[in-house]
Order: sequence, then C-alpha cells, then structure tokens
Amino acid sequence: MSNGKISEIAKYMPKEIKQMLEGLPSHVLEDIEEVRLRQGKPVMLHGDGREYLMGKNGQPVFDIRNAYICTFDDIKSAVSLITNYSLYSYEDDIRNGFVTVEGGHRVGICGKAVLDKGSVRTFKDISFINYRIARQVIGAADRVLRSIMQTDGNIYNTLIISPPQCGKTTMLRDIVRQLSNGTPAMGFKGKKIGLVDERNEIAACSMGVPKNDVGIRTDVLDGCPKAEGILIMIRSMSPEIIATDEIGRSEDGAAILDAINAGVKIITTIHGSDIEDFLRKPSLEKLHNGLFERYIIMSSKNGVGTIEAILDENYKPVRGHLTREAGL
Amino acid sequence: MTLKLIGGLLIMAACSLYGIAASNRYSLRPKDIRKLRSALQMLETEVIFGSTPLPAAMNNVAKKVDGGIKSFFSRVSQELLSGWSYDLDTVWSGAMEELQKETCLTGVDKELLKDFGKVLGCSDREDQKKHFELFYIQLKHHEDMAEEERRKNEKLYKSLGFLAGLVIFIMLI
Repeated sequence: MSNGKISEIAKYMPKEIKQMLEGLPSHVLEDIEEVRLRQGKPVMLHGDGREYLMGKNGQPVFDIRNAYICTFDDIKSAVSLITNYSLYSYEDDIRNGFVTVEGGHRVGICGKAVLDKGSVRTFKDISFINYRIARQVIGAADRVLRSIMQTDGNIYNTLIISPPQCGKTTMLRDIVRQLSNGTPAMGFKGKKIGLVDERNEIAACSMGVPKNDVGIRTDVLDGCPKAEGILIMIRSMSPEIIATDEIGRSEDGAAILDAINAGVKIITTIHGSDIEDFLRKPSLEKLHNGLFERYIIMSSKNGVGTIEAILDENYKPVRGHLTREAGL
Repeated sequence: MTLKLIGGLLIMAACSLYGIAASNRYSLRPKDIRKLRSALQMLETEVIFGSTPLPAAMNNVAKKVDGGIKSFFSRVSQELLSGWSYDLDTVWSGAMEELQKETCLTGVDKELLKDFGKVLGCSDREDQKKHFELFYIQLKHHEDMAEEERRKNEKLYKSLGFLAGLVIFIMLI
C-alpha cells in the first residue's frame, strides 16, 4: 500500500531521482513523508521524524559528500512533470504555492514570486520542490469521535486546529469516513456529508471518483473554492454535515456562518497550534463567538497525530476525553 | 528515327516533370506554413481559453488537422501521455522528423518551431499568449519570404526543366 503511494508520486519526479527513490530499501520507503529537492543541494527524505540524504548510489546516506546533488535540469523536469508540461493550466495552484497531484499528494513549490499590483501573480525560477506523500490512516479519528457526537445522534460543529504536518487532513478524512459510514458500535447512524475538497486532498478524486475512502454517504465537490462550494453544497446535495479543509479567508467564515444558519453541521480545519491562534485571526472574526462547539487541537509532540486537547464551546477541556487521555 | 524521337520526347517529359517537382517545393512551402499557423492557432485557443494541459490540447489539434502536421502533434501528445519523457522540449524536437517526411517546411521554419517548443508550457497564460503572438509574427515573416521565393522560382524551375529537356532533345537529334 505505502509503496503504491510512493510510486504514485514518483511519477512526478525527475528520472534520476525517481530511479534512486525506487531503489531505496522498503523499510525506508514505507516511512517517507516528504521528498525535498533544492537546486544545487542534496535531495532529502523526511519520514517518521528522521531525515536522510539520497546517496549517489541510490542508498540513504548521512554524509553530504556522498549525497546526490539536485541539478537545474532535475528541477526543470520535475516542474514540467508536476504541471503536466503545462504550467499555464496550474496557474492558480502555483500562485498558492502547491499543486495537488493524482492520489491527493501535495507538491509544494517555491521560487521567485512575480508580483502584479502587490499580490503574487505567479512564481518564476522555481528551485525548491517538496513532495508530500498523503497517506490515509483508517482509524485516525477513533479517539476523538465520541467527543464530537452529541447524545441525540447529532454531531457538534467541530474545528480541528493544528500546525502543518501534524495529520489534520488525515484526521478530517477519517472523521468524514466514520461519520458517513456510521458507527453501529456507538449507535451512530451514518450522516449525509458534503465534502468541499478545494485542493483535492481529502478524497483525492480522480476522474470524479474518490481514491481515498471517505464513506458511503459522502458527496464530493472537487476543486471548488470553499466559500462558493459550501453554498453550492447546501443548495444542491442537502447535506447534514459539511466538511472542508483549511479555512482562513473571511469569505470562508461567511459561508460557514451561512451553513450553520441553514442547520447544517460543520467540520473543518485551520492552521494554528492552540485556540489562541484561532482567536487571533481577524479574518475569521465571525466564527469566534462560540459557533464551534468542539475544538480538537493537534500537534506532533508524540508523533504525527497527537491530540493535545479537545475543548468545548467555552474553550474548556471536554471531560470525558481527558480522563481517557490520562489513562493512556 | 522514330525510336530517337520517342526517346527524346521521353527525356523532355522527364526533365519537365523534374522541373515541376522542384518548383513544387517552392509552391507548397507557403501552404504548409499557413497550415502550421492555423494548427498553432488551434493550440493557442486550447492553451489560453481552455487552459487544457498540452498532451490533451495537442491531441485535440491533431484531430482537426491533416498531413505531416497531424502526425507531428499526435506523436508529441502520445509521447507525453506515455509518461516516459521528462521534458517537452526533447519530445517536441524529436517529433519534428515527422515534418521532415511529409511537409515542405525548410530548415529555418523548423528552427523557429523548435525554439517555440522551448517556451511552450513553461509559463503562465499571459506569458504564453505573448509567445504565441511572437511566433506568429516570425512565422508571417517566413511566409512572406516563402511567397517571394515561390514567385521567383516556381516558374523558373518549371521552364528550366522544360528547356533542359529541349536542349538535350535537340542535341540528340
């Protein structure tokens, strides 16, 4: 499975690097979360808290002298592979700094920003590339599920707060899967879920069909801007829950407010490391006063996917959860 | 005598045909340039308005054109889709041998097209549009030159072929 994920993303790597990557021992391959290319610098692999350099002979090494140095041509061919030889058709993605490739993997890119009237129009001289491998973890949400369910079979409006690379998308995906399928063990019937997947990361649709398991009652709106997508979802698919990833702009806040007022429950995520970070974001002011009833705060303290705390609408820890945490 | 006459006439016919073939190179080149331009315009529409990625865009163009230009675009599209290539530039210039076989485009035309392959797909839409426009301007220049050459040489080669045949004929008799 994980080797499959690697080969999905290796398609988008330059020839030499792809060959070296595929030659790595399988225990290293399984753990890889990121492959980083920087022009004129060694190719780096990150995974499971470790860091390797890619050796010239295709083995993981630690000494920079034995490492493979990424060339200008490597970067150039990586960019054309990621963008399907057509930079222009990924303009919007590049402006945001990353492209989501088939399989839901994210490829971050960095270079010189070209400005137009003060805002970023595009990047040129791209010379930093970060391949991030997305893995679905079935059961990632097991420990939070009970805290976001109400006793009457409904769920709470939930916000997942987490820094990058701590597994928030993975968490959201599994919450969606479990709520959509229903969990008979907890007496919870499945809900109709509208998934607004702006960056095609959660469901990883290919030709309109989700490649990741997002449950049997989930409709996916793929590649649509969140604010607009939320409204379309409410109008078109009559969802009971709307799930979306990484809110941040003020129009996102307005759309979420609309959804909540329409009686739809919301599950979403935001970048940050604690509740204060969320409260400091002026663009989401509309959502600050108790609209969300549960806050799940994540970190990578004890590995990716650590649950720091679960807070209720008054930002107090949810008791049932804490006792279980203590027991662990 | 009759045999000599028949032989001489045959030689004359051959030489005239050779002349016509030579002049054809000049009369077909402007046509091929125009075909190339209209194919590129279709590609531009796909790129600028449809934002279609190049492999699919070229496949669409290949469906609408014919001859060497069709085989050129369908080969580029197929090679890109197969995923074995690592940049457009190589595929693009490699596929240009299709043009060699089936069109009358000359070295300078191909050089121009080859240079265009280096910038195609490498920037955002606004920039691509500029590249397309520049390409048309240069191609127009080539077309004018080709037209000029055609006017000068088309008749010349035809009559040269005929006259050469005639000279040999007279000498033989």
